[in-house]
Amino acid sequence: MNQQMSLTEVLQDLESEALSAIGASLDADGLETIRISYLGRKDGRISQILRKLGEIDENERRPVGAEANRVKGLIRDALEARLVHFESDGSGASSGDDLTLPGRRRWIGGSHPVTQVVDEIWQIFRSMGFVRARGPEADTEWYNFVALNTPLDHPAADEQDTLYLKDSVLLRSHTSPVQVRTMEKHEPPIRILAPGMVYRRDTYDATHTPAFAQIEGLVVDEGVSFVDFKATLAEFARRFWGPGTKVRFRPSYFPFTEPSAEVDVKRMITRKDGTRVESDWIEIMGAGMVDPNVLENVGYDAERYTGFAFGMGPARIALLKYGVPDLRLFFQNDVRFLSQFTHGPDQ
Amino acid sequence: MNVSYSWLRSMVPGLEASPEEIAEHLATRGAPVETMESVGAGLEDVVVARVKSVRRHPNADRLSLCEVDNGGEVLQVVCGAPVIAEGGYYPFAGVGVTLPDGFKLKKAKIRGEYSNGMLCSERELGLGRDQAGIMRLSDDSTTGQPLVEVLGLDDVRMDVEVTPNRGDWLSHLGLAREVAPDGVGGVVLPPIPGAPTVDIEVRSDEREVTHGEVSICVEEPDLCWRFLGVIIRGVTVGPSPEWLTARLRSVGQQSINNVVDATNYVMLEMGNPMHAYDLRRLQESRLVVRKAQDGETMQTLDGLDHEFDSEMLLICDASVPHDIAGTMGGKHSSVTEDTVDVLLECALFDPKSIRSTRRALGISTDASYRFERGVDPEGHLPAVRRALEIILAAAGGEIDGPILEVLPRPWQTSSLVLRTSRVAQVLGVSFGREEIDSLIGPLGFTLGKGTQKETGEEIEVEVPGYRSYDVTREIDLIEEIARTYGYDRFPEELGPFRPTTVPDHPVFQLEDRLRAVLTQEGLLEATNPAFAPEYEGNVEINNPISMEERYLRASLLPDLLRNVEYNLARGSRDVRLFEIGTVFQGGDVGEPPSEDLHVAVAVTGRQHPSHWSEEGASVDFWDLRRILDSALAASGWSEVSVSTEAEGDNLFEPSLSVSVVLADGVRMGSAGRVVSHRIDTPAWAGDLWGLELRLPADPPAETTPTFRPLPQFPGVDRDLALIVPPDVAAAAVIEKIQETGGDLLDDVTIFDLYRGKGVGDGDRSLAFRLRFQAWDRTLTDKQIDRVVGKLLKTLQEDLGVRQRL
Repeated sequence: MNQQMSLTEVLQDLESEALSAIGASLDADGLETIRISYLGRKDGRISQILRKLGEIDENERRPVGAEANRVKGLIRDALEARLVHFESDGSGASSGDDLTLPGRRRWIGGSHPVTQVVDEIWQIFRSMGFVRARGPEADTEWYNFVALNTPLDHPAADEQDTLYLKDSVLLRSHTSPVQVRTMEKHEPPIRILAPGMVYRRDTYDATHTPAFAQIEGLVVDEGVSFVDFKATLAEFARRFWGPGTKVRFRPSYFPFTEPSAEVDVKRMITRKDGTRVESDWIEIMGAGMVDPNVLENVGYDAERYTGFAFGMGPARIALLKYGVPDLRLFFQNDVRFLSQFTHGPDQ
Repeated sequence: MNVSYSWLRSMVPGLEASPEEIAEHLATRGAPVETMESVGAGLEDVVVARVKSVRRHPNADRLSLCEVDNGGEVLQVVCGAPVIAEGGYYPFAGVGVTLPDGFKLKKAKIRGEYSNGMLCSERELGLGRDQAGIMRLSDDSTTGQPLVEVLGLDDVRMDVEVTPNRGDWLSHLGLAREVAPDGVGGVVLPPIPGAPTVDIEVRSDEREVTHGEVSICVEEPDLCWRFLGVIIRGVTVGPSPEWLTARLRSVGQQSINNVVDATNYVMLEMGNPMHAYDLRRLQESRLVVRKAQDGETMQTLDGLDHEFDSEMLLICDASVPHDIAGTMGGKHSSVTEDTVDVLLECALFDPKSIRSTRRALGISTDASYRFERGVDPEGHLPAVRRALEIILAAAGGEIDGPILEVLPRPWQTSSLVLRTSRVAQVLGVSFGREEIDSLIGPLGFTLGKGTQKETGEEIEVEVPGYRSYDVTREIDLIEEIARTYGYDRFPEELGPFRPTTVPDHPVFQLEDRLRAVLTQEGLLEATNPAFAPEYEGNVEINNPISMEERYLRASLLPDLLRNVEYNLARGSRDVRLFEIGTVFQGGDVGEPPSEDLHVAVAVTGRQHPSHWSEEGASVDFWDLRRILDSALAASGWSEVSVSTEAEGDNLFEPSLSVSVVLADGVRMGSAGRVVSHRIDTPAWAGDLWGLELRLPADPPAETTPTFRPLPQFPGVDRDLALIVPPDVAAAAVIEKIQETGGDLLDDVTIFDLYRGKGVGDGDRSLAFRLRFQAWDRTLTDKQIDRVVGKLLKTLQEDLGVRQRL
């Protein structure tokens, strides 16, 4: 034994030596040999040190003793664990087990299918330079209607039956108020996507729920034209719905856009027999060039800046994408439904 | 808006397009056709038959036996109708024909006599309400002719979706302008069968006009901009001629009588609502357009009684109301078979006034719908002339005097300036004057010559009256150009763009992080509408959908617990849900309530899906605690602490719940075992654990990890067994160790908890493993001893925690 080493250091050496021997052992007999050589009552190397404690300096006795006990416990635990490994009792596989049995499983979580659609849409717009913006769900008539060029006494305000709180405070009937709120705070260039919940006085049925997610988009800058508008949204639609998708823009009316458009897609569907066919035209969003009145309402120079805006319903899109027959399923929160949209082995 | 294909075609001579082609064209113009149906669907096999003879059924008094000629053969038919005319023409359904209601005719023996088909009533054919008698057809019909031809049912009804800005599209005339290849120039009004030429003068005044004893007066020139009246005397009110009934039927309207039908026909054709009064029912033969007196009442045509307030515009006689302006007429003066003299009205009202009145009264009619969206201010005279033609042809009578017109606000044609430079700026494609003229000229816009300016041309554009509601600005004209040019013809080239100055909102990034960690925990995301019953929220909805949804939620967990109940009731034992959503609180008068984003979790069932190798434990507090810690780490709150001081939200068992507290002492969340009476669970269900946290409104933006060099020198573990008195929280011990441990202390883990022999009553022995690490040197025992010594001293002094030896 090297006299220059302290007993503590010797113990630490023994510790690592013993642990690697245990790791390298092949069977229970080997382990027993190791046990005897370190912990054997008579000649075990740790036991010897413990026996010698009485001979050493009183100041060192206590720390060395503690260290020796620690190392002893550690080696004993390691021996036991290794032995369990050799004598597999069914809690871990060993030779002879049927290795075709399934492995351990864990719960597979997942975000809501509508959230997943929102995310997918966001990732596409993100790659086109958009950022996310948000606004309150309870808002005022000014933001929900008036600032968006929708006078309260115009039939267009009827189109969405609105839930009111008190006075002129309401639950936003669309995400478009975020357009106004964002422009009030920031100067162009604006390039935002605003997902959020909106509320309407609809009763529950297969295609309506009184609360639902919507995604708003807004682009405002110098030189943004109808051509940019069409190009951006057609690019989105083709990326989201897949190659071969046809995109159609139809004139429509929204008080806060002019010209206004409905955007339809016709996508390629693979039938059961493998043939590819075109779907019908599906309406996926309302959109248009931002009405100059909206820009003026937030103090922008409407002669200098132009832009486009769009809005779509991710729940409706999820319905089409996943073949869900009824919007109410999205609010039932049945785990048998929600776990159909997770990514992992079946449970 | 229901449109008849054949009506539309009759207004555009030479239009050959099929209904499908018209629908396609209208869609590209912004008026999509929602549905198309054949008007005479199901009646294709019903033919015209002539009754040759009628005699009484030998065995039944109420039945008759008819010999019927269907154009091919003569058949015996048993008939139950009281009156069948010999020589008359009737709709006939032979054996094998299926009627619209699904009834299939078979050869039948009725009281001993064979019946080979059926003579049909309007009701049986699905054409009207009249079931009393068989539907008699005109005497110049031809036997064997399909009924759909005779009744004009070989037509297609298109339901056109009209956006609220296009009041002009609420008529066949308006849509004809849009489909006519040559535009407005190619649109005509089809001739009225048997109509005389109506050549009649107009007598006009600003406030009041009279003819004989009849007078018309407008007292509210701001709300009634134009009012035309004309007197027809000596009419014979009765059924409408077949062509008129057929036209109304083709768009799904019922025939009422020849006078009322004439007014409805003109509204559907030209868009101007009209009303006919029984002149003798008007006191002093007078019509006054005035506001109601508070509490004034009237019964409308539909038999309902209405009470008015002083904001509502009425048409009255010398004393009582007879019509809610632009909305619905009164019953008392309505035109019936007793009516002899008619006063016909065609007016123009302020759309806003009509809208507020009809909303206040809770009614909407074809007339109010059109007035709200804007009626052609120039269409009144042609409409009145058209209605007179029909009434004179269908109901006879004579016009008495001129058209009486009160015109408080004469129509002014508006004109707008259109800059070609602005067109190019907005549309991204350049259009010249000629091209613009060829695009929007056919819709009735008149383009001036155009003046050359530095930036391009400026063109003065005159707007036709029927577009005066939606085309009031340059941008409206630009939309017309884009629409008529065709949206699909614009290129789709993605151009360069400037990056935005707006930052990606950090709350979305927070949501992303939370979703990532919670789904990692094996949780499924739930979404619930933010509505709540009264005891779960304090922000009230004024016009709720139901009493259960009268408030906005103040927290997420109640809904999530209901979701768990729902799942347990369907046999799912393992329910692991989270929700991220908005909750609402307070709000002053006129101010929106405050909103917070919350996250909530509810879990019950097994810790892990079953595996054959182990027994499988249920979710317990420490699983919840791990989820809580994960959520807190992702939440963006800094310096939060967990305390066992449960505060009463009564949702969790006090002894099995913790509160989450911010540095300033504000409680922002809690977690624990849900008290069992809060939810209705089956006997086999396991414990239910939940948590809810408020999330920061302004979380720190996503941070990028910075690399720290890997240690070059070995670290050292030290194990300490500490005796912790009952009133000291483990969290406090950990915090103290971290505080005192200094830079060398790299990690603290608790690896054992022991109570019992060798440890004082109530005390706990907690085994800590401390990892010490220096980046620049190997630590010596001495250095570590010094830190541990200091640590033990502080623990002893501050918390009464001592080492167990």
